[in-house]
Formats: sequence, structure tokens, C-alpha cells
Amino acid sequence: MKIEDVVCSFCGCLCDDLVVEVDGKKVVNVENGCTLANEKFMGDHRLETPIRRTGNGWEKISYEEAIAETAAILLDADRPLLYGWSGTFGEAQSVGVHLAEILGAVIDNTSTVCHGPSILAIQEVGHPGCTLGQVRNRADVVVYWGANPIDAHPRHMSRYTTYCDGFFLKDAFKDRKVIVVDVRETESSNVADEFVRVNPGGDYAVLSALRAIVRGKRDIIPPNVEGVSREQLFRVADICIAAKFGAIFFGLGLTMSPGKNKNIRNAIELTQELSRHTKFTISPMRGHWNVYGSNEVFTWITGYPYAVDFARGIAFYNPGETTSVDILRRGECDACLVVASDPGAHFPRACAEHLARIPTVQIDPHVNVTTHLARIQIPVGVAGIDAEGTAYRMDGVPLRTRRLYKGDYPDDQEVLRKIYEIVREAKG
Amino acid sequence: MRFLLNTGRTIAQGSFVERKNSPSYRMAAATICMNPVDMLEILVEEGEHVRVSSDAGVVVMKVIPDQGLPRGRVFVSLGPYANHIVSAETHGTGMPDFKLTPVSIEPTKDPVMPVGSLMGLCGGLPYED
Repeated sequence: MKIEDVVCSFCGCLCDDLVVEVDGKKVVNVENGCTLANEKFMGDHRLETPIRRTGNGWEKISYEEAIAETAAILLDADRPLLYGWSGTFGEAQSVGVHLAEILGAVIDNTSTVCHGPSILAIQEVGHPGCTLGQVRNRADVVVYWGANPIDAHPRHMSRYTTYCDGFFLKDAFKDRKVIVVDVRETESSNVADEFVRVNPGGDYAVLSALRAIVRGKRDIIPPNVEGVSREQLFRVADICIAAKFGAIFFGLGLTMSPGKNKNIRNAIELTQELSRHTKFTISPMRGHWNVYGSNEVFTWITGYPYAVDFARGIAFYNPGETTSVDILRRGECDACLVVASDPGAHFPRACAEHLARIPTVQIDPHVNVTTHLARIQIPVGVAGIDAEGTAYRMDGVPLRTRRLYKGDYPDDQEVLRKIYEIVREAKG
Repeated sequence: MRFLLNTGRTIAQGSFVERKNSPSYRMAAATICMNPVDMLEILVEEGEHVRVSSDAGVVVMKVIPDQGLPRGRVFVSLGPYANHIVSAETHGTGMPDFKLTPVSIEPTKDPVMPVGSLMGLCGGLPYED
């Protein structure tokens, strides 16, 4: 059976034009997908049953046993951390937030090591963003700053920027100018009209220089700013000022580099300066397919987008203190529930060591790096394949992922609800 | 010799995220890209192993040349090998310095550890699927 208009649940692009062929409980072909989508839909590497660590080995256990033991671990903890959430759908994320509230836990999502600094900057100075459809149809200048879409979001350029047609652009491929700013050459910088190579940690200074140029202060720019020549800075500024509609996309090259949230604030303020001359927008390149959704769901329920601490009985938010890496580094949490992410792979080693010290439970379809650190892992269906629910694209547009066949696994929401019910009953 | 370590997404790493016990993932996550002139300086050939050390730890990786990198800079795809040597300090932001870790690199004959064994060093227990 061929299913059309399938939403891909890999990256924040949430491409919704895939054609997937299903035979029984197996995906046998994918059309229109990138390499990452093909691997995701065609992959067949699920953990078969829940597993539990037993001293020096592992044993298979039932779902009932795994769920009951997980609830007991969370109930027994004084300061549980519920981490992940960006690789599952909104309805499951919602159960997670309610679970955190009755446990008095900290709940955090993968923004914490992704675009958390972008959120901090947006909270300071706002977000002059737009949907990807606007970019596709209007943008004649596109800037990728600290981002490598060809590797991380392989169809971003073909669906929304460099290579796609635009309603208001006659000859989009030729008319669009693409500027890539990065510390290294990448596949993406190779296709740019202008590649600006910045010294590591130099983004803030280069953004400030561009702001000054756009403000008309060319005479104060030194010959070289963090590896970028004054001539190139003038050229880039002139391309941007001459744009009819410019779109800046930024990646973790800005959020993880020295300056972090202040880099993003500077980039947003550059966007605002450019909008004195023309129309410019700025948007983060969100990584996990539903990381934007985790920020939305957390915010609806708690008022805060990530790093929410319920220990006081109310929602408290203080990134740097209530963020997962800091909590794990301090050895503060005494149990961890990991849902739909892999902190073992993506957190620094000191955090992995603490995850191994405390009872860590993981809810995830696949064996990953966190599996080796966990006491229990509960496999679930994959949203967009054999589970379904709401996801948010990187530009904040909600799309519903669909179940392509009825599989044998429960979904995240079902497992979390069962844990929630046990906890609620115990808490009275 | 001292270098600045940068980490980030690669298409190979992304392709194997659902098979993290596989040799393909290990290959993608434990490969360090280096300017070819720097490789000459530290006397390593493509495919040989290097010991990468930072203030936060030590890990063995396989080296490949990358002409797109300036001298003195190295790149590793995000994952457990890079994070084995990234500090958990966030400077009050919640975000570690994933893009800028000072490291020293030297040739070694030591093997690149499987992911499970690497987590064993962190106190975990390898799970073989």
C-alpha cells in the first residue's frame, strides 16, 4: 500500500511530501525522502521488549513490570529529572509535564543542548520570524549562520531556499543569493554565493561589525574582524541591504559558541537593523523533529519552554541552574526518566557518569548510547511510522504525523499514562 | 600538539542514529577530521588512530584529512566520543562549550572503543543487541 503526503519525523523540517510504501508491518519503499528519512523509515532496528539491568547482565521483562518499576523509581526519588521529549509527539509530552508536576520533578527537553540559548535571546529581544512558506516564496537573500543544512536538514535548501521555486521570484535559483557564515568549509558553504569564514568564537564581533555597517558606521570598521576582511563585511552588508526580503537561519554554530545567547541576541538585533532598510527575518534551524513542539507544550502548561523545576510545587525556571547538564554535573538528581532522546550520546561525559550512578529509565524505540547507562528501557512505537500525534515544524507550524500501520508496540503516550496513573494513585 | 575541537552534525552520524551499537555509527562518531598539514606534523596517516586529550578526559579516535579545516582546528561529529572530552561546565547558560574545546592530539596504536565499552568507562553496562 502506497501512502502519500507522509510527514517525516526526523528533523525540524518535517517534510510532508513523502510517499511511503508499506507491506504489512514493514516499510518497503520511501520516495522524496533524504538520506536521513530513508534510514528512518526503512530502518528495522527496534528493541524488541522492555529490558532490565541485572547486576552484570540484562534480562527481558514485561511492559507491566517495566512500567511498575519505573513508577516506583520515580516515587522513591527526592529530585527526579524527566529529560528528552523532542523525539515524541505533543500528546505524550503533555503527559510528561503533568507527571513532572505531581512528582515535583525537573522536566527539561533537548533545547537545553540545542537552541536553549536562542530561547533566552528571544525572551530578551523578541523573534522577528516567519513561516518557511514566506521564505520560499519571497526571500531573495538567504543567510545560513553557524548552520550546515546539507548535513543536518538535507531538504531545507531544496524545499524552502536555494533550489526551490518561489511565487514572487521569477527565476528563483538564479535570483536568490545565499550567504553562509561558518568557522569551517562545509557542503553548504560550497554552494554559497558568499562564504564568510569566521574565527572560532568570533561570531559576536562579526555580527556587531555588520550592525555597525548597516547603521552607516563604515568608517569605524577595522581592516579585519575575527578573520573576516572589511571588504567582505561591506559586500555582505550591501547584499543584505539590497534584498527585497532576507531570511537568516542560524544553527548551533551560534548557540554553542562562546557568547551563546548573546550571539543570538546580536543576530536578532542585526535582523532588526536590516528591517530599517528592507524586510528581514530570522529563525533557528531546529534539530529534532518535534523539539519546537516540546517548547510549545511546556509553555502552554507551565509558562516556560524548557528547564522547568516543580520542586517548589509551582513551575520555576532558571536556565544554568534548572538545566539538565547543570543538574547532572552537580550530581543533584537521584533518578532520571529519559524519553525520546539520547543524553548518553549528547551530554558531556560527567553527565553520563551520573546517569549511570542513579536509576535511569529510558523510553525509546531503539538501543542507543543511553541504553548502556540505564536500569530499564521500554521500547515504544515510532511517531510517524507506527504511532501518531502532533508535531511542530521548525517555524512553529503544527503538523500531524500519521500512523502508517498498526504495529505491536504501545506508544509513548500510552506508557507514560500508565506510569502517571500509578504515581497519581500513590500520591493520593 | 594543541588544537581547537569543534563538534557538529554530519549526514553519516545522522544516518546511523538508530543503530548506535553498529560499527557504522562508531565510524561516524569516532572519526576526527584534521587539516592534512597538521596530520603531517603529528605524523599520522589517514585511518590511523590518535589519542585526543582535553582537561575533561581522553578518547581514542580515527583520523581523516579535511582540507576545509584551517590548521589548528579539528572536527568530530556530535556523539559519545566527542562528548567524552567536552567539559560539562555551562557558565550559567545550561549549554556546554560543544564548539570550542582545547585538545592535544598524538598518534596511538590503541583501538577505538565500541560505544558500549565507552559507556562502561562511565559506569554503565554494555547492552549487545
